[in-house]
This record gives sequence, structure tokens and C-alpha cells, in this order.
Amino acid sequence: MNHADLIEWHVNNAGMIKALIAGSLISVACGVIGCFIILRRMSFLADAVAHSMLAGVVGSYLILRAVFGFQANSIIILIGALFAGLLTVVLIGIVTKVSRVKEDAAIGIMYTGIFALGGFFASIKAFSKYIDVDLVGFIAGSVVATTIGDLWMLAIVCCIVFGAVILFYRQLLLTCFDPVMAASIGVPVLAIDYLLTACTSLVVVCGVNIVGVILVVALLITPAATAYLLFDRLNRMLIASAFFGLLGFWSGYFVSMWTGNAPGPSVVVMSTFIFLLTLACAPKYGMIADWLRKRNQVPQELVEDIMAFILKNGGEASPQRIIDSVSLANYSTKQALSRLEKTDEIESENEFIRLTKQGRRTARKLQRAHRLWETYLESTGMSPDQVHAAAHVLEHVNDEEAVDYLDHKLGHPLTDPHGAEIPEDFVHIEAGGLIRLSLLREGDSAVVEDAGPASETLGIENGAKIQIGPRDSDNKWTAVNSVTGEELSIDHDAADHIWVIKK
Amino acid sequence: MKTENDSAVSVEHLTVSYGPVPALLDISFSVEPGQLVGIIGPNGSGKSTLIKAVLGFVKADFGNVKLFGKSAEHAKGAVAYVPQRGAVDWDFPVTVRDVALMGRFSKTPWWRDLSHEDHRLADEALDMVRMTEFADRQIGQLSGGQQQRVFMARAIAQDSELLLLDEPFAGVDAATERAILDVLRKTREAGKTTLVVHHDLATAAEYFDKLVLLKQRLFGYGPPENILQPELLSEVYEGTLRVFANLSPKKDSIASAARHRESHTGISDQSKSSEASK
Repeated sequence: MNHADLIEWHVNNAGMIKALIAGSLISVACGVIGCFIILRRMSFLADAVAHSMLAGVVGSYLILRAVFGFQANSIIILIGALFAGLLTVVLIGIVTKVSRVKEDAAIGIMYTGIFALGGFFASIKAFSKYIDVDLVGFIAGSVVATTIGDLWMLAIVCCIVFGAVILFYRQLLLTCFDPVMAASIGVPVLAIDYLLTACTSLVVVCGVNIVGVILVVALLITPAATAYLLFDRLNRMLIASAFFGLLGFWSGYFVSMWTGNAPGPSVVVMSTFIFLLTLACAPKYGMIADWLRKRNQVPQELVEDIMAFILKNGGEASPQRIIDSVSLANYSTKQALSRLEKTDEIESENEFIRLTKQGRRTARKLQRAHRLWETYLESTGMSPDQVHAAAHVLEHVNDEEAVDYLDHKLGHPLTDPHGAEIPEDFVHIEAGGLIRLSLLREGDSAVVEDAGPASETLGIENGAKIQIGPRDSDNKWTAVNSVTGEELSIDHDAADHIWVIKK
Repeated sequence: MKTENDSAVSVEHLTVSYGPVPALLDISFSVEPGQLVGIIGPNGSGKSTLIKAVLGFVKADFGNVKLFGKSAEHAKGAVAYVPQRGAVDWDFPVTVRDVALMGRFSKTPWWRDLSHEDHRLADEALDMVRMTEFADRQIGQLSGGQQQRVFMARAIAQDSELLLLDEPFAGVDAATERAILDVLRKTREAGKTTLVVHHDLATAAEYFDKLVLLKQRLFGYGPPENILQPELLSEVYEGTLRVFANLSPKKDSIASAARHRESHTGISDQSKSSEASK
């Protein structure tokens, strides 16, 4: 391409170059401000500001033509639109403050009202001769009709927006993140809020030129949300958002040239496409990553089922038997086994999988929970052939305190409904500290540390050594005082109030 | 002689309302510098409002709050604040180090960048709460206790004379509880004043020099043993309070045994009655 060709190309494509510059400027500005909008959850407010601008545009035309008699230019329209936008924000604030109407409802009322007011005046016959607002351009965007004046306006807006963000970055960050602390160190939170609103209005007015009032919110929110899925620091998110804004605009613009339709919709379609692609593929917050994470996760339920199975099987089992006997839909038993081995709950030796000491303890805790749940379920009147299945689900509710509660409520039973022994409360007993006498079983011996009320009612003294016998027919504890040889019968309540150390 | 200027925090006739029912009514007390003060009271008793009033974040209908002799509005930056866990957006794109650095914002004029010294102080603060290895993590990817410690680090980095903590012990693990207590001890040794909103009466006596008992009005202010009186507490908590036993720590073995009992099984009302019968 020689020099003359280049000049000719430029002359022929001046409109396109202007459109591209305008679009690039506005998408970068929108991308940057959009980050703060989504972090402040102001998306709906931005939408409201965009719509209410119709009233500002119409109003400034009308006042200038009807009152002063001259044609409005883009700067005047910008100021009119800005005024309408800020008025909407203030009105929403007032309605929220003076009434019980919540903010989202207040936004819905005020922006439709002000938007309709603009539409109402624009469609009155007597006024319409003053107004040559391109309503189609307002709604669908008209980036191809960008003038040099528009470019200047955009340049100024970008300077203001970038200047504000760079100068007040820390203040904006803190106000968005923790307004209470911001106020406490003297950041003018309200002023920063208005600054953000003013910047939003500015970029929205300009964005309306590109994609129109309906879609301008997409220019603000979509690139910012895309960046939000990828980055964990605000400064990086800001840069990425500006980049995604540009990417969306350029790709959308060229798609529209190729298909020959208006650029507005295709810009938004492309931005949305980029967002969805990111949503699927983002390394940390994407759906595929999430799915992979979930797939690699081994649910506690499966782990516990495996351990309970090995314990029931006598402490060891072949891997194949475990895989055949224990399963949970969608999860791999094999994976669970390797997890258990990593956490030292099981060890494999000669093709057999065995519980470690720690694993055996965990499994016994589970067994205790399972059998206590069975006993509990039977006590609620459930038929014995149903309790096993229900307890199998409930054994995973095995929080220490919950199990202790069941044990206490059931009177510290020794066997479950199937006659199998319920493991004793070894967690408390093995700790070696003070325990309630009610936790002890036949054959245990203990020293009484604090007899409580039993010192009077049963004559047990602190320091007495006792030997626990079998429960009697009323499920009372029996014991023999090793020193005096006296036989004792202790009911549940008394047994709970005698504190002993097991020997 | 003591004057108002000698106190770190002085609250006079403070009344704050969000409507016809006052959140705080006629609150007056003053905290001497270097004290560790707990603010206790039932839910909705105005504890958080009091903190916000001291921060100058809510406007008083009547009365005033003075910090080191200056009104709260003029003492900006003199107070470091640790918010309640629920009040923070944990998805916000900031890392642990970013949050610690926020503590240095108050000392940096808006036109100037944070200095190397600021970065060093923030890192030092993270080190103090043992969060250095998580410095580059986004704050949502931490456990509840670690999240709490990040905000402690921010408060330390702020290096303020007055520290306000809103429910720092709510739902944290034992390691975090120790880390927080450690920091509180160090700040007290450095002569700094700390106000802590606290919900657990059982530990209140152990942690604090003085307690503020609040329920809209001031029901008591003084050393824990004067405030943790069953009559006073039942008046404020209106029977919603269950565990009275062992409010003040005893060092003997019986006390530790009794505490063991409380932690054991869900039958604390019984152990309470056994306690009462002794």
C-alpha cells in the first residue's frame, strides 16, 4: 500500500476510525468504573441512571430550543443527561430514607418515572418540532455516527474518570470494602460515594452513544464481572476489566461490520460470550474448575462408611471386598481409600487393608454413634427392621456433644436393639480426667473425687475407691466400696453427679 | 486530680436512636488509658451502636463521645477498628496483605503512595498474628479464625492509641482465640486502650479489666466481679441467661474440674444445680 492509497483509505474510513476510538475509550472507562459498581452492588442503580438520561436529553433540548432558541450541542446534552442521572440518584436516596420502601423498589419507581417523563415530553406534538433527538440512536446506540465533538467529550470524560480512580484509589477501595473503617480514619465516605455516582453517570451518558440505553449496563457490568471471576486483587481486576471491555467492543464491532448490522447488540453479545466462556473456564472460580474440585473431593460420609465396614469386618479387609461392599453414588471408593491412607487412618499390608490405631479410634466413635442412634430410634417407636437403615444415615451426625446427649438421654445403654455392645464413652474415659460415674461399666474401678449430693444420700465419701458391678434390672448402677465392702445401688441422676477418676 | 482529658474514651449522656426507640439512652462512662474493657449485653442491646458512635460513624442525638479529650469527629485516625465477621464482604478482591496495608491508609495523605515503611509495618503486623504465610491469599479463602486475625493485623498496623473490636471471639478456633488474646495483652503492655464487644459471659472476667453492661441504658460499669452479679445479669438478660456457674475464674483444681464438667455432655443445667448445692 503506497502513501496515496493510505491517505485515501483514511479518508474513506474516517467514520470507522472515529467509531473505533470512541468505542475503545468508552469501553475502557466503563470497564474501570464497572468494577466499583459490581463491588458496591450498584448495577441496578447504574441501569436507572442510564434510563433517566432520556429525560435529561429531552429536557436540555427543550429548554435550549424553546427558551433560548438555539440548537443543543453534545456538551449541553451531556450536562442535561448528567443532571437527570444525579437527580435520579438523589431522589432514590430520599425515597429510601423517608419511607419504608426499600432501595430496589425506590430505584424501580424513580427511574421508570423519570424515563417516562422524558418520553412523555418527547412525544407531545407541540414540542416534537423542537426535538430532533434520535430516539432510535438513544435506544440502540449510534457509534458509527461519532463526531469529532463526541471524541473530545469522551477524552475529557476518560481523563476525569481515570484521574479520579488513580488519585483516590485507596479511598475508593476502602469505602467499597469497609465504609465504617473508612469513616473512622476520616475518609469522606459520602463525597467518595458521590464521586463514584458522578463517574458512573458520566460513563453511562457516553456509553449510551455506543450501545444505547438498554444495553449500556452491559458495557459497565459484563467486563467487570468477567475480570472478577479471574482476579483476586482490585488493581488487577481493574486492568483486566478494561481489557475485556476493549476485547468485547472490538470483536463486537468487527462482527457487526461483517454481518452488516448495528454494532450495539453485537458488542454486548460478544461481551456476554466472553463472560460465559470465562465462567466456564476460569481457573479458580470457573464452573469446570469447580466441577473438578468437587469430583476430587471425597465426602466424609463415604470415608466413614469404609471405616465402619473395616471395623465390623474385624479390623481388616481386602481392598476388593471394601470396593464391592461400600459405595456412594458418583464417588469413587478407591479414591476414598487412598485419602484414608494419606491421613493415616488405614494402612495396607499383604493385600489387606487394616485400620491404624487412630483409624480404629475413629471407627469406634462411628460405631458408638451408629449404635446409639439405633437405640434412640427404637426408643421413638421405630420398628427394629427399619432402625439400621435410618441409623446408617444418622451415624454421620456424630458430633461429640450430640452423641453424648443421646447417651445420656437413653440412660447410658450397654447394648443396641440388635444386642450388639455399644462402645463405651472412651473419648472422655481415656482422657484420664474427671468423669461422671454414669460413664463407667461393669469391671471398672474408680476413685471418687467429688460425690456431690450422693455423699449424704448414699454415704459415699470423697476419696472412696469403688468397683463397678453389673447394671441391675432397673438399669441402676451397682458398685462395691472396695474399702468398706458396702454395696451401693446408684440411679442415673445420682451417677451423673458423682465425679470420679477411672483407675 | 483526674479530668476528662485524662481519659482515653469519655462518653457523656450519649443517646442514639434509629426511630422512637433509642438504641442507646443516656450512656456515661469513661475509660482510662491502657485499660482493656469489655462491652457486654444481650443481642440488640446497642453494643455495636456504641462502637459506631465511638468511631464517629453514627451521629448522637444527644451527648457526646470524646477520645483523648477531643470529640470523636475530630479524632479521626486515632481509633483502629476490627469489624464483626458478618459485616465484611469476603468475596472482595483483596488479599491478606492488602487488608493489612489498609491499616496504613490513615497515616498516608491522599496524594502520596504507601512507603516501604508502611509495607514493612503491615508485614510485621501480619507476622504478629502469624498470618505471613497467607499474605497473598484472597481473604475469602481463609478459615473463620484466620479471617479474624487478618483484621487484627490491620488494627495493629494502624498503630492507634485506641482499639475497637466487635465480637472478635465469635466462632473462632482456639488458636485464633490465643492469637487475639496475645495481641490484646501486647497492646495493653504498650499502654493502649482497647474496647471489645463480647458475648461470652463465662470468659468476660478472665479477659477484661473492666466491663460495660449494656442494654440500651448503662446497667453497670466497673471491675468484672462487680458487674457479673447474678441479680444484675438476670435483670439485663431477663432469664435468657442459663449458665451462671463459674463466671469468675478460680485457680484451684475444683474450678478446673468444674469447667471440665461444663464442657462435658449437654446437661449443663444439672451441673449448675450441683454447683449451687455446694
